[in-house]
Amino acid sequence: MNIAPVDIWAVAKVFAIVGLFIYLIFALVVVRQVQLMIDTLEVGFEVPVKYLSYIHLILAIVVLIFAFVVL
Amino acid sequence: MPDVFVSKKSEGKIPKHGHRPAVLDALTPSSRTMSAFCFKPKGIKFETRQKGEKVILLLRRHPVTNAGWVFVAFLLGIVPFFLQSFPIISFLPENFRLVAVMGWYLVIVAFSLENFLTWFFNVYIITDERIIDIDFYNLIYKEVTDANIDKIQDVTYRMGGVIRTIFNYGDVIIQTASEVPNLEALAVPKPALIAGVLQDLRIEEEVEKLEGRIR
Repeated sequence: MNIAPVDIWAVAKVFAIVGLFIYLIFALVVVRQVQLMIDTLEVGFEVPVKYLSYIHLILAIVVLIFAFVVL
Repeated sequence: MPDVFVSKKSEGKIPKHGHRPAVLDALTPSSRTMSAFCFKPKGIKFETRQKGEKVILLLRRHPVTNAGWVFVAFLLGIVPFFLQSFPIISFLPENFRLVAVMGWYLVIVAFSLENFLTWFFNVYIITDERIIDIDFYNLIYKEVTDANIDKIQDVTYRMGGVIRTIFNYGDVIIQTASEVPNLEALAVPKPALIAGVLQDLRIEEEVEKLEGRIR
């Protein structure tokens, strides 16, 4: 019986991309949660906090795309 | 039957303009909403705010309580620089190593962001009518507790330890007669002053009751 050779780095790539995709979902949850926090309490510093959550989301997207391309 | 004693009309009369609280008068309004102790902050809005309700104090944990996670984030941040000296992930191809380091920094950003948001949005608000405790646990669970000022039974504050004494912060425990027996403002700055403010507000509330000015 002949077993097809498995490329270990291809498996690692799938794991890395799945992990980064889950992280992207987490980043989306953070954006949503920040919005809910701002709805609960407004103290006059909402815009920078909102930008922080969006920057985090953009970073997560960039790293996911980068992993797709590079790995 | 003649009266044995008739009190003078002026006795027991409440001043027209109410009680002048000592602590509340001594504080100056603050506009720094990033601060952990804001007296009469402007532009504060919260979900359960009632019409005409005035915010007296906005409290957060003392900024020094953030030192722990800031230090951990810093240590985690410099770990990749030591990978050249300790080649733990040297078995990985170059592209995998690059993605691993980027992922590492993403996790540090998430860790810092979550801690900052928890500090920033977990607040205690003291208004002229109520005390509100807003808590966010791990980004997906929210708890808002409030108690009326006139339901306060007892206010205790405690400070202990070197760091708390140096930076003047501690816990304020408010026992109430409402459904929530205790409200705890933990690691807040100037606990003695907060207890003083609460005392003044309780006196004001009593005076309002006597004058029949209850909202």
